Amino acid sequence: MNKLKTNATVFIQPLLAVIVGLLVGTIAIMLSGESVIVTYQEMWDGAFGNLYFLTNTLERAIPIILAGLGVAFAFRAGFFNLGAEGQLVMGAVTTAIVTVYLPFQGLLNMVISIIAGMLIAGLYSFLAGWMEQRFQINLLISTLLLNYIAVLFAGYLVSEPFRDTSSAGGVPQTVMVDEASRLPKLLTGMNLHYGFVIAIILAIVIAFIMKRTTFGYEVRMLGQNVFFAQYGGINRKKIMFTSLLISGMLAGLAGSVEVLGIHYRFIEGALSNPQFAWTGLMAALLANSNPIGTTVVAIFLAALDTGSLGVERNTDVPNSISGIIQAVLILFISAKFTMNFLNQRKKEGK
Amino acid sequence: MLLELKDITKKYGDFKANDQVSFSLNKQEIHAIVGENGAGKTTLMRMLYGMEKPTSGDIFINGKKQNIDNPNIAIELGIGMVHQHFMLFPPFTIAENVVFHHEPKKGWRYDRKKAADEVAQLAEKFGMKINPLDIAGDAPVGIQQRVEILKVLYQGADVIILDEPTAVLTPLEVKELLVSLRELVKMGKSIILITHKLNEVMEIADRVTVLRDGKVTGTLTTKDTNPEELSRLMVGRELKNNPLPSIEKGNEILSIKNIEMTSKKSGKTLLDDVTLQVRQGEIVGIAGVSGNGQSELIQAITGLAPVNKGSVTLNGADMTNRSVKQIRDQGLSHIPEDRYLWGAAKEANLVDNMMMTDYAKPAFQKAGVLKLKEIRRYVAESVKKFNVKTTSIDTSAQFLSGGNLQKLIAAREIQKNTPFLLAAEPTRGVDIGAMEFIHEQLIEKRNNGDAVLLISSELSEILALSDRVFVMYEGKIVGEFDHQNASEEKLSILMAGGNNE
Repeated sequence: MNKLKTNATVFIQPLLAVIVGLLVGTIAIMLSGESVIVTYQEMWDGAFGNLYFLTNTLERAIPIILAGLGVAFAFRAGFFNLGAEGQLVMGAVTTAIVTVYLPFQGLLNMVISIIAGMLIAGLYSFLAGWMEQRFQINLLISTLLLNYIAVLFAGYLVSEPFRDTSSAGGVPQTVMVDEASRLPKLLTGMNLHYGFVIAIILAIVIAFIMKRTTFGYEVRMLGQNVFFAQYGGINRKKIMFTSLLISGMLAGLAGSVEVLGIHYRFIEGALSNPQFAWTGLMAALLANSNPIGTTVVAIFLAALDTGSLGVERNTDVPNSISGIIQAVLILFISAKFTMNFLNQRKKEGK
Repeated sequence: MLLELKDITKKYGDFKANDQVSFSLNKQEIHAIVGENGAGKTTLMRMLYGMEKPTSGDIFINGKKQNIDNPNIAIELGIGMVHQHFMLFPPFTIAENVVFHHEPKKGWRYDRKKAADEVAQLAEKFGMKINPLDIAGDAPVGIQQRVEILKVLYQGADVIILDEPTAVLTPLEVKELLVSLRELVKMGKSIILITHKLNEVMEIADRVTVLRDGKVTGTLTTKDTNPEELSRLMVGRELKNNPLPSIEKGNEILSIKNIEMTSKKSGKTLLDDVTLQVRQGEIVGIAGVSGNGQSELIQAITGLAPVNKGSVTLNGADMTNRSVKQIRDQGLSHIPEDRYLWGAAKEANLVDNMMMTDYAKPAFQKAGVLKLKEIRRYVAESVKKFNVKTTSIDTSAQFLSGGNLQKLIAAREIQKNTPFLLAAEPTRGVDIGAMEFIHEQLIEKRNNGDAVLLISSELSEILALSDRVFVMYEGKIVGEFDHQNASEEKLSILMAGGNNE
C-alpha cells in the first residue's frame, strides 16, 4: 500500500509538470491566434503521427536518454554532474577520430571506437571527481566549466588536425565513418538506429543495478546520507569515482552513438547546439533520477522537439512553443528543488 | 484559572491522538505533561498553539472560549511555544533572532541598535545571560534555547510551552534552565513543560498531567506523588528492575592504549592519552558531559577519524586507523550517538536502513546481486522481534518516531552478534518503554559473554548498566569506578572537572 503510494507520487509529479506545461503552451498558442486543438494535433502528428515521425522522435531521444541516465546515476550517488555536455562531446569526437584511424573496419571497429569514446568521456568526468578529492574544487562548478573546455577543444580538433579537407569550406567536421563501421538502422529507410536498443537495455540494466545489487545499494545510501554510508563502512571515495566514471561513460556513449548512428562524422556544434545533454539533465531531474522514468521523460521531451517542428511546418505557431513548454518544466524542477530544500530546513528546525 | 482545555479530542482518521483530554493551568504555575513518545503530548500542545484544530472540545483562556486557528492568534492571546528543535537563523545575531517578525523600526528601516538594546533589557529582566550581538549559530545549545525563550517573551507571552526542553542540554545547562524557569514564574509567567524526564518534573513542576495513548491517566500534585507512580501511569505497568547478574569476565575484547587525537583545524587536543579495556561479559560505561571527547573516542574506535598516537586493538587484532569496514569485519557493531546523522538515511525505507553493514554478507547477496526475498524476510522478522512500530517495512525511516527508529538501529547492530558493541547514547530522546527494552538488550548481550562499551551523558543509565565506569573530562579519562563504588555524586564532581579528594 505504502509502496504503491510512493510509486504513484513518483509519476504524479512529472505528470503534473507536463500538464501545466501544456496548459501554458495553450495560452501561448491562443496568443498567436491559432486553434489550440489543431496545433496540438499537429504537434502530436509531428512527433508520433506516422512511422517516419515516430522513429524520428525515438532517434532524437537516444542521446537524451543516455545523457539523462548518466546524470541520474551520479545524482543517485549524491553528486551533481553538470558536465554531461562536455562528456558527450568528448565521447563523440573520440569515437569519430578513432573509427577513421583504426586500420580495419566493421563491427570490431565500431565496438572499439565506441568504447574509446566512453572511456575518454568517463575519464573526463573522473577528472572532476579527482579535483574535488585533491583540491576540494566544487564538483558543480568544475563539471560545468569543463563543458566549455570540451566543446572548444573538440572544435579545435575538427577545425585543425582532424578536419575533413576533401570538401572545401563549410562547417568543420571529421572524415566520414566507413559504411561498415556504422551503427545499423533499426528499420530500412528510417533514421532510427541500434543506439535506441542500447539505450533501452542500459536503462533496464541501470535500474537493476540500482535496486538489486550491493553496488547500487552503496550508491543509493551514499546519495541519501553520506554520514550513514561512512558509518556503515561504505567507501565514499570509491563510490564517487566509480559513479562519476559511469556517469561520464553514459554521456560519452550518447555522443558516440550519435556519431556512428546518424551523423557518421563529428560536426562542430551538431551535438551541443541541440542541447541534448541539458535536455537529458532535465529528464533525469523530472524523473527523480529513476532510470526508467528518465527514459520515458526523455522520449517525451524529444517528442516535444520533433512535434514543434511539425507545428511550425503546418501552422503559424513558431517552434519556440516547445521552448515555452520546456521552460515551464524547468520552473517546475526548480520549484521542486526549492520545496525540498525548504522542507529540509523546516524539518531540521522543527 | 488562566487556561483550560476541556474534553479535547483529536482524530487522524480512525486514530485518536487525543481522547477527551482535559488540562488546566493556573497563573504562575509550572504544569508538566509527561507521557511516552506518541502519547499525544505534542499534539495537545500543537492544538493549544493553533498548529492543529481539535476534532472536538473547547479551549478557554481567562475563562473565555477561544478558537485558536493559527499560531498568530495564540501569540496574541499570550501563548508562546519553544519547540524541541530550535527554529533559529544560525547566521544572524541573537538580537535579530529574538525580534524577528516583530522588529523595532526607525521609519521604514529595521532599527538594529534598538533591537539589541531591547533584547539586552529583556534578558536582564529575566536574569538570562546572553550577548545580543553574538551570532546565534555559534552559541552553545543552552544559549540557543535561551534565545528561543526570549523570542517568546519578546512576543509578550504569558504562557510558555516548552517541548522537551532538556533533551539537548548538558546536565549543567539543565540546572541553569530550571533556575531560569523558576525566575520566569516569579515574574508572573506560567509554564507548560512537556518532558519525559521524571526527575525534572519532581524538581520543578507544581502539578503534572500524565498521558498514555492519548488519554489522561492522572493529574497529580507533584508533592503528593513520586517517580515510580508517574512511570506506572505512563507505561501502564510496573517497570522491571534490570539486575546485572555477576558473571565471569573473559578476555579483553577492546583495548585502547594511550590514544591521542588533535583537531586538524584548530590543533586542539581532543583526546589526551586515553587508555581503557573492555572484557568479555562486561559493560563499561563512559560518563561525561557531552563534548568532552566522547564523540572523538567513538570515531577513533570505529575508524571514522584517525588518531595521532596510541593503539586500538579489537578482538586480538591491531585496528589503529583502519577503515570502518575492516574494523566492522573484525567484530564491531555500533549504535551511533546521533541516529539521524550517522544512524539512518531518513528518506530510505526500513529495508535499506536495516541492511546497512549487512548487505554484503553471503546470506543476503550472491555475486553482488541482493537476495531481496531473504532480505525482506530478515527485516520483517527483526522489526517484529524488536517491536518496531511501523505500518510496513517499505515506510521511509523519517516516519518512525525517535524511539522506534532507535529500536530499529539497535536491532540492526545487536543482531549482528559481534563480540563488541559500542552503544553511544543508546536511549537519548526515547520513551521509557523503548529505553527499558534497549537496556534489556544490552544486558542480554553482556550476559552472552560479549563486550559492550556504553557512552552516555545520562548518569542514571551509566550507573544502572555499567560493570565499570570511566569518567571523561576535556578529552581525558579522569576517573575509574567499579559498579559498587560508583555513585552519582562521585561521577558528577569528576564530570564537572573537580576531583574527589
